[in-house]
Parts: sequence; structure tokens; C-alpha cells
Amino acid sequence: MFKKILFATSATNACDHAARVAFDMARRYNAHIDAFHVIGVPTRGFSQVVVDLTTGEQVALDDNYRDLVKEEIRAYYDHQIKPSMDCAIEVAVGEAHREILRLARRTQPDIIVMGGSTGATGAYAARRNITGSTFQQVAKAAHCPVMVINRPAGSFWGGFSNIVFGTDFSESADTAFAFAFDLAKTFDCELLLLHALDITGCQINTLHSQDDIDDQIRKARQQMRFRYISKMRDFKNYEVDVWEGIPFVEIVKYAREKHADLIVMGHHTRKKTGDGEGALGSVAEQVILRANCPVISINRPIPR
Amino acid sequence: MPEGSLCNKQPIQTDAALKTLLSDTGGRQYYQEMKSLDVDRGLLRDTIEKTCKSRIRTWLSICAHCGMCADSCFFYRINDRDPKQVPAYKIQSTLGEIIRRKGNVDNAFMHMAMETAWAKCTCCNRCGLYCPHGIDMGVMFSYLRGLLYQQGFVPWEMKIGAGMHRVYNAQMDVTDEEFIDTFLWMAEENEEEYPGLTIPIDKVGADILYTVNAREVKHYPEDLAQAAILFHLAGENWTVTSKGWEQTSLAMFAGDWAACKMQVESVYDAMERLKPKRMVGTECGHAHRATVVEGPYWAGRKDGLPPVESIHYVEWLAEALRTGKLKIDPARRIKEPVTLQDSCNYVRNHGLKEITREIIRYIVEPGYFIDMSPNREHNYCCGGGGGFNGIGLYREQRNKALITKRDQIIKTGAKLVLAPCHNCWDAIRDLEETYQIGIRWSFLKPLVLGMVEIPEHLKPKE
Repeated sequence: MFKKILFATSATNACDHAARVAFDMARRYNAHIDAFHVIGVPTRGFSQVVVDLTTGEQVALDDNYRDLVKEEIRAYYDHQIKPSMDCAIEVAVGEAHREILRLARRTQPDIIVMGGSTGATGAYAARRNITGSTFQQVAKAAHCPVMVINRPAGSFWGGFSNIVFGTDFSESADTAFAFAFDLAKTFDCELLLLHALDITGCQINTLHSQDDIDDQIRKARQQMRFRYISKMRDFKNYEVDVWEGIPFVEIVKYAREKHADLIVMGHHTRKKTGDGEGALGSVAEQVILRANCPVISINRPIPR
Repeated sequence: MPEGSLCNKQPIQTDAALKTLLSDTGGRQYYQEMKSLDVDRGLLRDTIEKTCKSRIRTWLSICAHCGMCADSCFFYRINDRDPKQVPAYKIQSTLGEIIRRKGNVDNAFMHMAMETAWAKCTCCNRCGLYCPHGIDMGVMFSYLRGLLYQQGFVPWEMKIGAGMHRVYNAQMDVTDEEFIDTFLWMAEENEEEYPGLTIPIDKVGADILYTVNAREVKHYPEDLAQAAILFHLAGENWTVTSKGWEQTSLAMFAGDWAACKMQVESVYDAMERLKPKRMVGTECGHAHRATVVEGPYWAGRKDGLPPVESIHYVEWLAEALRTGKLKIDPARRIKEPVTLQDSCNYVRNHGLKEITREIIRYIVEPGYFIDMSPNREHNYCCGGGGGFNGIGLYREQRNKALITKRDQIIKTGAKLVLAPCHNCWDAIRDLEETYQIGIRWSFLKPLVLGMVEIPEHLKPKE
């Protein structure tokens, strides 16, 4: 399932947790891994000057500088890149999300792994809304699953054994289910299916009666059986739950309680992501920010 | 040393030569070699005789040295009114001197002329507006650049830029295949949100042929996507060409006359081949100047016009909004103090001053637009025009040149600057980076896309 991994990294400690997972996956699944770094944004029109996103400094870009950056990345991940590992280090210049998508389109990886924040520093990076928005834009447009590790992957010990699949019964959730189920079968994991019933409406006006909530939970369980369980045939290693509350909070809590080492969710491509000010809209994005395990977001069916 | 291996009189003709020059970081060796580059005086004299016609000769001789141009030049104003920054002085002491001496000038003179031509003039042509005789120093500086280029005295980035046009027919190393592939990629990325979005390639007889700036392909393909989406939403019958898609001309900034001709002819060939009703160019000022205003003369077109009617993006956008092809949701109009950068190349030099303001009436809530002062044809250059933005050697002078625009913007109190020109957009970004005055800047496309109403039949089906 993971034969080709695109690990997009700032090569700073902001991506250390992501690196641990990405290189672990490469070793475990014998995959090719491209460690990809976007050096910075070209400035001065057509000149060769680039603002390095990591240092915030202006650099004259040439082959030497590229090689230097590649060397630094290799050194930074030296303890993780095993001699037997099929690993390539790639660098590019441009807007981070655009270059990640460009490379992904060319190399067609099975998964993109990235940190939640590039760790870009300085007013320049902040103004250009680089921090944190890269993964939003990649998750929105990528044609493969995108795994984000934003916080220390507390319950990730290597490999996957407990996968939480969070659903809102949308089309993209169905797509995410197909992937999560595949993953669970392939790697012999427990699949934990959760629907978080959104009762946030009660804060605004109407308080749901408990009967009403129970009724909705019953309906959600039926949906789960109809949409997912019926498709799992003889796969028995699963659990189904419906929790009520604020959806992203419930998903994060559920994953913590179940010691999940992975959350899989759909990502609504049509939903506009923020307004460029770093505001995160969808439930998936909130989960990415808060979960302490890797989160895979999927926005379209994965071709097999 | 007559000719260096990197700095010489030969234009860049091959990809290998381009890469070699590019690998000379910052042009270190290039500028070193320039110090001992010989001036081919015979060639200079012959070129002047052949190409310096009565207009320039008359201008140079009728200049009354009245100094009316001095205050019109932003370089003069920000450099403590240094007399050496008076436009008339700048051109008389360089081009005027070369002609008076019949080309008998030396290396040190050419270095001085190069710095004057690229670091003391952005060819914004503002001085021409204020000269009682109508003498246009900007036009003469463009001519001087041509003489300097021919002799090899041209900033490193300019030589590269002109070389890009010669090798790639584009200002950056973007091939025709990459151009098409990138445009298709953008359609792929947006087709779910905008069902039916396609990129019509090489369609003969379309209403619109759309031409771009290679930087959009290289670094900001979102711009291509936005253009395609807006044409799609407006229901336009449009196309792009697989050859001759680059509207810009760094060759013009560099003074590489042959490359200017070659570049613009590639666009005109596409027009002849695809026979569109009109050409619409992207939000770029110098691209418009190169392809629509000056290009016809480079290509030797007798009527002084491109093969088909060619308009700037702002003209198309204003028309689409005026005729209702694009409808703005009033609730989503800009509701914050906003100002507009008038691009010299299509406002002062091509009269499009009211078109952009018409667009503003559609997209900005009344009361929020604040004009800079001065504005329209009297507006100042962004500070990075004419290639200035890209030249590392003159970075310090360029950053100083941004002060005029910085202060103009600060006075408006606006936090958002509309910059429908690539060069202005860059300069304003750089001035924010350098001086940090807390502004944002934008092309028109992304803003309009955020507020346009999507016709019912073009909405995605749930």
C-alpha cells in the first residue's frame, strides 16, 4: 500500500514527529521515500534571489546552494535514513504547497507525509501565510492520501494497529472508509469506526432532548451498519461507536482513549479553506491540529 | 581582455550557455570580466548612424536644459535632489555624449552609462509628460539600453532574461510542453469545484486568445487557474496557444532588440495561426507594452497594431463586469481601505487610467477606495520597473527607489494595494519586505474570484 512515500519537510524540528513516522513507514513497508524540501519563495521578480523559508535570509540561489541544502537535510535525518533505505532528497524553489503538489503530480506517491507547521520563522513567512496553511492547501488538492503529524505522535510506536475512522456520512467520508478498511485489512489492524454526532446547536438555541439525541445515535448506528459494516464481509476486527458532542473534540478524545495510532478522515474539497489568515475550517483540519497521532485526510477516491 | 567567456557581446543562444551564465552566482565573474571588456567603437558608431533617427537627435538637440523634468523623476526626489539625477542630465551625459563623440567612449564610460540606464531610470516615461518640448527620456533610455546591450554592458540578470527569450521564447525556462501541462493541471485541480472547466488549447477562431507571463507558469499557476475560471464563469469562448503564449519581454528591458522582435513575433504567429477575435493579456504592464504597444513596430507592422485587437486584462475584466458576464455579489465587495497602483506601462503609456477605476466601482464598497496622490498618468513608478526589480547589482538603489511608492501608500492609509501588474506587484511586495508598513497586495483575479456570483448551471452538483 505504501510503496512510494513523499515526505514534505521543512527540515526543522517542526517536522521531527512527521519524520519519525515517515522514515518508520519507509523502513517497515520497504518503500521508496522522497524527502522533499522547498527552499523558499523566489523574490525580486525574475532574479535569482530567494528568501530561505527556514532562515528567513535572502540567498543567491545556485547549484551549490541547492547541494548544500540537500547535504544539510541528509545530515539532519542521518540517524533515520538507514543504509538500505531507498531514499532520495529533493529540493525546489517556489510556494511550498504548490511545489509539493507539483512533485506529487509527477511522481504519483501512495501517500504524502507532512508536519502540521513548516516552522517558518520571521515576519516574512508569517505575512505570506506559509505557516500551517501549506498542509491545508495540499490536503485540499492532492490526489493521494495526505498524512499530517502536527503534534508528538504520543501513541505511535511504529506501524499501525488501531485505526480510527471518523465519518460524517459524506461522500468523501465513504472514500476515506474505503482507504481505512483497505489499510486495516492489509496491516491487520483494528478498525474503530466513529461518528461524532454534532450537538453544538444546543448552545445557540434549542436544547436537544435526550430522547432526541438517543434517537439520532440509533439512526447513526444504522447508517454505520448500512454504509460500512455491510461492506466489510468477514472482517471482524472492528468496533462501532457514536459519540455526541463537538465533532472534532469527540474524535480526538476517542482516538486518545482507544490508543489509536492513526486517524483517517475525509476532507471536503469544495469547502473553502480559511481566508488565508490561518483559520482552519473543517473538522478534519481541527483534528489534524489536535490529535496526538498521525491523521490521514483523503479528498477523493484512491485509484487502485 | 577584449571579450570575457561570460561577459561579451554575444547574445545567449543555447540552453548550455544560459546554464553556464546562471551558474555564475550573482554574476561575480561576469562583472569582473566586464571591467576589461573592450568597447567596439566602430560598431557603436555604425549602429548610431543606422538606428539613431531624427526623433532622438532632435530631442537631444532641442533640450533647453530648463530642468522641468527634474521634479517629475522620483529618483531625483528621493536622492536629495541630486543634479545628477535630473532626467535631462542623465540622458545627455550618456546617450547624448555617445552621439556627440560618435561612439568614441571607453570602458569606464560604458560602466557609468550602464548604471545610469538601469539604476537611474525605470523607463516609466513620467518625465516626458512634464517636458515642455515633450522630450521622452524613457524612450531614449530604452534606446541607450540597446546600444549598451550590443556592446555587452548589460546587468547579469538582464542578459539571462534576454537569453531565456532566445532559448525558450519565454522569460523563464518554461517549455511549451510545461506551459500546457501546467494549465491542464490547474483545470484538473479545479474541475470539481467548477464542473465543465476546461482549457481550450489551440482552438481556431475563438473570441479570446489568452497570453500570460511565464512566472505564472513557473511559480504561481493559481493565476492561470483563476484566469481560466473567470473566463469559464463569464461564458467566454477562449483559448490558449501551445506556442507563442508568453506575452512579456525581458528582452525589452535588456535592450536586446533582435530578441524583442523574435519574442513578439512568436505571439503574433499564434494570432495569425489561431485567428482569434481578440487577444487578452494577463495582469502585466510591460507585457502589454511589449506585445501591444511597441511590439508592432519591432515586428515591422506598418499599421502599428498587433495582428488582432489586443487588450489588457483590466479591459476585459471591466467589460465582463459592465456587461454582466461576471456578476459581483455586493455582500462580498472589498470593505476595507484599499488603494490602486497605476502601472506606468498601460496607464501613463497606454491611456487605461479610467478602466481600472471602473473595476473598482464594481468590486469595492463605496467609500473604501482611496486614490494615491498623484495618480493616473501622473502616478509614480512602483520603484522597480524596467527590469530594476531583478538586478542584484543595483539592489540598494532599487530599495531606495521604493520609498516614493511606500510613502504614497502610507498616505492613503490603505492596508490593501491592488496591483494589476506583475512588476508593480513584485515591487510592492519587496517594499513591504524591506520597510514593513503592514500592507497586503493583490492582483485583481483572486479578489474578483472571491466575490463573483457563480451562475446556477455552473455550480457543482451536490
